[in-house]
Amino acid sequence: MFSISSEAKVGIFVLIGLIILAYMSFQVGQRGFGLKKGYSVDVFFNNVAGLERDASVQIAGVEIGRVESIALKDGKALVTLRIGKDIKLARDVKAAIKTHGILGDKYIELVPGKDEEIYIHEGGRIINVESQADLDRLLNQLAFIADDIKKVTGALSSVLAGDEGEASIKDILENSRQLTRNLNTVVKSNEATLRAVLENTRQLTENLNNVVTKNDEKMAQTIENLRGASEQMEKTFASLNDITESIKKGEGTAGRLIKDKDMAVKLDQAIDSLRDVTDKINQGKGTIGKLINDEETVNNLNEGLTGLSRYINKAEQFRTFLSYRGEYLFDSSEAKNYLDIKIQPKQDKFYIVGLVSDPQGKKTIRDTTVAGVTTRTEEWDRDGLLFNAQIGKRYKDIVIRGGLLESTGGVGLDYFALNDKLKFTFEAFDFSADEKTHLKAAAEYQLFKHLYLSFGWDDFISDKGQESPYAGISIRFEDDDLKYLLTTTPIPK
Amino acid sequence: MNRAAVAIDQLGRTVLEYVEEMGKIALLFLSVLRWMFQPPLKSHLIFKQMEFVGNKSIFVVVLTGAFTGMVMALQGYYGFKMFSAESMVGSVVALGMTRELGPVLTSLMVTARAGSAMAAELGTMRVTEQIDALSVMAANPVKHLIVPRVIAGVLMLPLLTVVSDFMGILGGYFVGVHLLHINSGIFVKNITTIVDLDDLYNGLVKAAVFGLILSLIGCYKGFNTRGGAEGVGKATTEAVVLSSITILISDYFLTAIMF
Amino acid sequence: MIELIDIHKSFKKNKVLNGLNLKIDSGLITVIIGRSGGGKSVLLKHIIGLLKPDRGRVLIDDTDITRLNDRDLNTIRKKFGMLFQEAALFDSMTVKENVAFPLREHAKMSEVEISRVVAEKLKSVGLTGIEDKMPSELSGGMRKRVGLARAIALQPEIVLFDEPTTGLDPVMTEAINQLIVDTQKNLNATCVVISHDLESIFKISHKIAMLYDGDIIEYGTPDEIRASKNPVIEQFLSGSIEGPIKII
Repeated sequence: MFSISSEAKVGIFVLIGLIILAYMSFQVGQRGFGLKKGYSVDVFFNNVAGLERDASVQIAGVEIGRVESIALKDGKALVTLRIGKDIKLARDVKAAIKTHGILGDKYIELVPGKDEEIYIHEGGRIINVESQADLDRLLNQLAFIADDIKKVTGALSSVLAGDEGEASIKDILENSRQLTRNLNTVVKSNEATLRAVLENTRQLTENLNNVVTKNDEKMAQTIENLRGASEQMEKTFASLNDITESIKKGEGTAGRLIKDKDMAVKLDQAIDSLRDVTDKINQGKGTIGKLINDEETVNNLNEGLTGLSRYINKAEQFRTFLSYRGEYLFDSSEAKNYLDIKIQPKQDKFYIVGLVSDPQGKKTIRDTTVAGVTTRTEEWDRDGLLFNAQIGKRYKDIVIRGGLLESTGGVGLDYFALNDKLKFTFEAFDFSADEKTHLKAAAEYQLFKHLYLSFGWDDFISDKGQESPYAGISIRFEDDDLKYLLTTTPIPK
Repeated sequence: MNRAAVAIDQLGRTVLEYVEEMGKIALLFLSVLRWMFQPPLKSHLIFKQMEFVGNKSIFVVVLTGAFTGMVMALQGYYGFKMFSAESMVGSVVALGMTRELGPVLTSLMVTARAGSAMAAELGTMRVTEQIDALSVMAANPVKHLIVPRVIAGVLMLPLLTVVSDFMGILGGYFVGVHLLHINSGIFVKNITTIVDLDDLYNGLVKAAVFGLILSLIGCYKGFNTRGGAEGVGKATTEAVVLSSITILISDYFLTAIMF
Repeated sequence: MIELIDIHKSFKKNKVLNGLNLKIDSGLITVIIGRSGGGKSVLLKHIIGLLKPDRGRVLIDDTDITRLNDRDLNTIRKKFGMLFQEAALFDSMTVKENVAFPLREHAKMSEVEISRVVAEKLKSVGLTGIEDKMPSELSGGMRKRVGLARAIALQPEIVLFDEPTTGLDPVMTEAINQLIVDTQKNLNATCVVISHDLESIFKISHKIAMLYDGDIIEYGTPDEIRASKNPVIEQFLSGSIEGPIKII
């Protein structure tokens, strides 16, 4: 019997496996191939939320490239596109982030430019960016409109579909039937009279015809008047259109209006008055008329909106941090606790207010004069709390701050490194004349998102033997609720 | 000692035993690494094991792969139908197969087929003193017995996974296109757009790791068999259980690292 | 020369070897006797380094093999051949591949040479024309002889036999005994045999060592052993139930 060796069998299997792998890789990775050779183009967006790496770049729905990378640069999203090498992009090409599919996949749509003289080359930049349509807002509005429509149709259906509605429709039909029968009877019984009437009419039109031919010019004038009237009507209808908007909301009213027996009369009256109103509005009479027709109103509204958005922006910028810091002093085996609120109205400016519990306590100096001899006593209140109130400003990686440090005047200097993860701090306070300044140096490292570890040397030139190395741990987080609470109070600029 | 204390004591012992076992497996792995790079490599032994682990597992892998893909397509279809997104079935099958089910199911099948056989074979060799005989003849048992099996496991599992992935997608295609009447072009297009090369390759890396795990544990259990035929049976069962558990647990961590 | 000095070995709480001392002379057949489960196989495995003692030294030609690394231990092991109790043939290989295994591992021989040596070794244990059979197709006696052929393939200086005649019929027992004697003569090897079979022991041995309670209690020529007044040996040789050896 012919037998195949293990080696051959394994070889065949490996070969088949590799062929399948190559086939699948090629299928799956196909688009990756040619594109690697293309060229890359940068584009800045304000917001790329939802855009993923490898998202499609399309012109007129045809994929011409992929998003190669997304990075943050100067507070904007820098998106690098890789464009197929056969595609030429004019310099004034326009880029926009679009959404497709129900799942909301984002892609970048390029609208070709007209300036075909200059093309964008490798590493170039697309300058025209269409800001992203706020889909959420659009959807919200749509939902509102749908709601309104539902209300109107609901009202209509309640009028027409109910037993009452059916009955009234029946009544109307019955009435019309009787009316036509009556008419019929009238017509039959007065045939002769009618004939006479018709004869009269014929003569009348004949006469009229004579009159018209004789008074051609006058007739034309009349027709002109009529045209003017119909124009007026048209305007009225346009106004009516506006009004129906408001009627739509008055769900019950419309319903009642339709049901009412005096409907015709009232409607007539209503339309009359409406026409009065719309006329007046069109002429700019009354408050609403002024509102709608006045340019100033629009401007005011615009300003109002701008103001609102500025206000919201401020809230976005305005940040509040709560922090707790515990420092364990090795030499005295005691702990110092800090509780601070840091308010940061602008990126580079902040205020700190806080409490410090110092094992040394609060120093109270009291001069007592007994019989002409003044004795100065220093009292340390061990339960006393010290206060922090500082104002600080940041210049790139350096922060300078000053104010009350542990209830005495002082200054501090921070230096940030490693993307703000590492902070070196130097503080000097308590410049009172009778003892050496309290100096403190420390390094703090951000271990996790909200957790920091610090090491330092407190009061290191102390003349009271209070110098001590320490290790500290601090928890710091941004308080959003507090932030919004605070933005409703005036903000110092 | 009251009952609670006994229970805690027992628990502690069990945990310690597992930790000790892990340590021993890790040491075995080190010695495999050491012997792997000491020539001469027993190529005929490696090929024999590759044939055993690879070729002889093809049938079972093809079967499980194809049916898994088919079931996924069927299940996915009913889910996606609710959103009128039936055409997504293909990509779900492909993504599921390449990332997860291909490597894991293949490894579990191979564990049951080859991992258990490794444990049984080495276990029998241990209790019939064949492993001692190897040592006595100055032939290192790790080099002769374990290195070829581990190499075969690491090399063949990715290949089997490729087959499994492919069969799964093919099965999904069959069910989706021929039975559920999803448009074939869209079915394929959705696969190629959603599945990445990385998905495919990371799945294969997983498979290689699983291959290492199942061959190493199978060999370890067999190599350390005690107590005759009964011991061989016990070693086989333990090898399958421990391998399966380790594969599933490590799958979680590999997924967490990779994707 | 094989020398075991103060060997201690226990498995979990079970003490198997307890300060054992033994010096096995070269070029002789030494039979180790003792109770079943008394540690004879353990002793044998210490000699070849399959087990390491808890304490003590094993000297093979003045080299302490308990302290050797794998590479040096393998060098020493090439001097050895061992016949296991159940022959321990590799199930997955044919008879020829089994016997050729040590040759392929350690001797740089051509395939033709290997075939020749394998045939020669098989012939020396009285087997011909079974090269392509699998071990599972062989009888117990044949397996033992193939095992012996494999053990002596590399012309070892020391050959160890772990209960070579257990489970064989008297004729086959006699044949194996004769093979042990022949092997020793042909190779001028040191043979260490573990056995219970008293008849065989006195027929083949030059020296006998009695293992009892984890130590060698008597070591001497067959005549010396036979004449021993040690009650343990007297009971062992007579096979009586009464005596210091307790049946548990």
